[in-house]
Amino acid sequence: MISYLVATLVLVAIATIAALALNLQWGLGGLVNFGLFGFYMLGAYVCGLLVVSGTPPLLAMAVAMLATAAVSAAVSLISVRLSEDYLAIVTLGFAECVRLFISYEEWLTRGTLGVPGIERPFAGWVPAAWSDGVFLAFSFACLLLSFLFLRKITRAPFGRLVRATRDDATVAEALGKNVLAVRAKVFAIGGALLGVAGSLHAFYYSYIDPTQFTTALNAYAFMAVIIAGRGSHIGVLIAGFSVILLLEGSRFLVDVIPFLDGAQLAALRLFIVGAGLIAILIYKPDGLVREYRLRSGAS
Amino acid sequence: MAQLVFNGLVTGLLIALPALSLALVFSVLRFANYAIGSMLTLGAYLVYGFNVGFGLPLPLAALAGAILGAGLALLINRLVYEPLRGRSGVTLLVASIGVGIALENAVRFFAGSTTRGFDVEVARPLRLLGLRINHEQILTIAIVLAALVTIWIIFRFTRLGRAMRAVADNPDLAAVRGIPRTQVIRTTWIISSVLATLAGVLVGLDGNVDPQMGWNYILPVFTAAILGGIGNPMAAVAGAVLLGITEELATLVLAPHYRTIVAFAVMALLLLVRPSGLFGTPGVAR
Repeated sequence: MISYLVATLVLVAIATIAALALNLQWGLGGLVNFGLFGFYMLGAYVCGLLVVSGTPPLLAMAVAMLATAAVSAAVSLISVRLSEDYLAIVTLGFAECVRLFISYEEWLTRGTLGVPGIERPFAGWVPAAWSDGVFLAFSFACLLLSFLFLRKITRAPFGRLVRATRDDATVAEALGKNVLAVRAKVFAIGGALLGVAGSLHAFYYSYIDPTQFTTALNAYAFMAVIIAGRGSHIGVLIAGFSVILLLEGSRFLVDVIPFLDGAQLAALRLFIVGAGLIAILIYKPDGLVREYRLRSGAS
Repeated sequence: MAQLVFNGLVTGLLIALPALSLALVFSVLRFANYAIGSMLTLGAYLVYGFNVGFGLPLPLAALAGAILGAGLALLINRLVYEPLRGRSGVTLLVASIGVGIALENAVRFFAGSTTRGFDVEVARPLRLLGLRINHEQILTIAIVLAALVTIWIIFRFTRLGRAMRAVADNPDLAAVRGIPRTQVIRTTWIISSVLATLAGVLVGLDGNVDPQMGWNYILPVFTAAILGGIGNPMAAVAGAVLLGITEELATLVLAPHYRTIVAFAVMALLLLVRPSGLFGTPGVAR
């Protein structure tokens, strides 16, 4: 039971970090990243492959962050000349390409066989029985740091600039701001966070293969951001620890409901995510928590 | 070589139906419909249900599936897109992502994730002028061309087509001139869903029916629509054929499973160099 709870909480922390990344890119920056799972997968594989080849885990994680940040910025530049519709398809296309590349380039990634034996950080320092607990604490520390960092930059002038480019890029440009650079930065920071989430995934499972990375992550992240209210980081935390926790926890129902098998339950869960996402867009478009500095009713 | 071009042409025509559907919805409703892949999957499964479940021959099953699919599309329009009317394109886009997730998983819930095939007889490929031609390929060409001509006639020569073009051009002006927007939107959804269902059947005949099938086509479909200039329905068809041939010729140098990467490369290059599409006029794209 305890190990089940720990597993759920780690997954919630990972999904919430991904949702925070999306909240920065889409909520604050207005850039729809529909290829979250691709960057996440990239982070997991960079980290996992480096650890397996002997790099210390924390260093590997840092490299994964840098790699996903750089790649994210590059991808965002492809569609800078156009609107959000295109960015969504470009990121999705990129994610699919990452998945194909990792599935077929066996010399590098072992393809569908997957990468086994990824060592967790601090693995040598703590007794094996504590490993899960320590890792849970580590992922929550990552989540907390991501949250504090995002809150910091959101309240800094940079956050204002990002919101300005979202609300009216032309005006921001006319005021002498480099919209292109701002968008690339937003994507890079979000990408780094996805690298963190991906690394945690690799550490936690200690084995990665291409089938683990599905669009379910996309669905969770979009759900969390929409429930939160676009642009509110604290809202994402709340959404993560209520809705994602509830959804992840529903895996438990397999033992209780006899007439549904695991695959059906997974489908049902994602169906509810999809339908819920639409319902919130219709009935509660502002989400739970208003964006920072829009709270006083000035909007 | 000629074989590759021919195969590419057929692949392109296969992509053309959903690309046309996507561009139609984009031009009338002004948002990118990410549920297009799931609509294709849903259509294929509805037809599969009528074909294998009720034992109808494939043409009848396709007809029944198309009608049911159109009904579902109208229902989705009523439940999702009508309450969201007037919101920004991005909101609608995200809503369509939700619709896509919900539809795909509804299919998974009822039909499971196993791979299926339609109940049709397998026939030997024909040989013509040194080309190997499958019966499915002939069927694809015939059906797609018939569908395209029908859509073109509707678009060019009927009151409905004029109304659709008017709403696409300028919804407010169209409303002032007394064109019923709601009806035009409903018709657009019907046409769009019938095209998606047809595409689902053809894709299912070409390969298999599985819940992932529509998802695998999203990228080529969007690429084709962008190639033609999204929001320009007929050009999307040309874009699709061009993309199909490019993908097929690329197998000369790249492994066949990297087709998606070719589509992505084409799209990336296009967005960097000529974002309004090959046939679009700059500035009108959005």
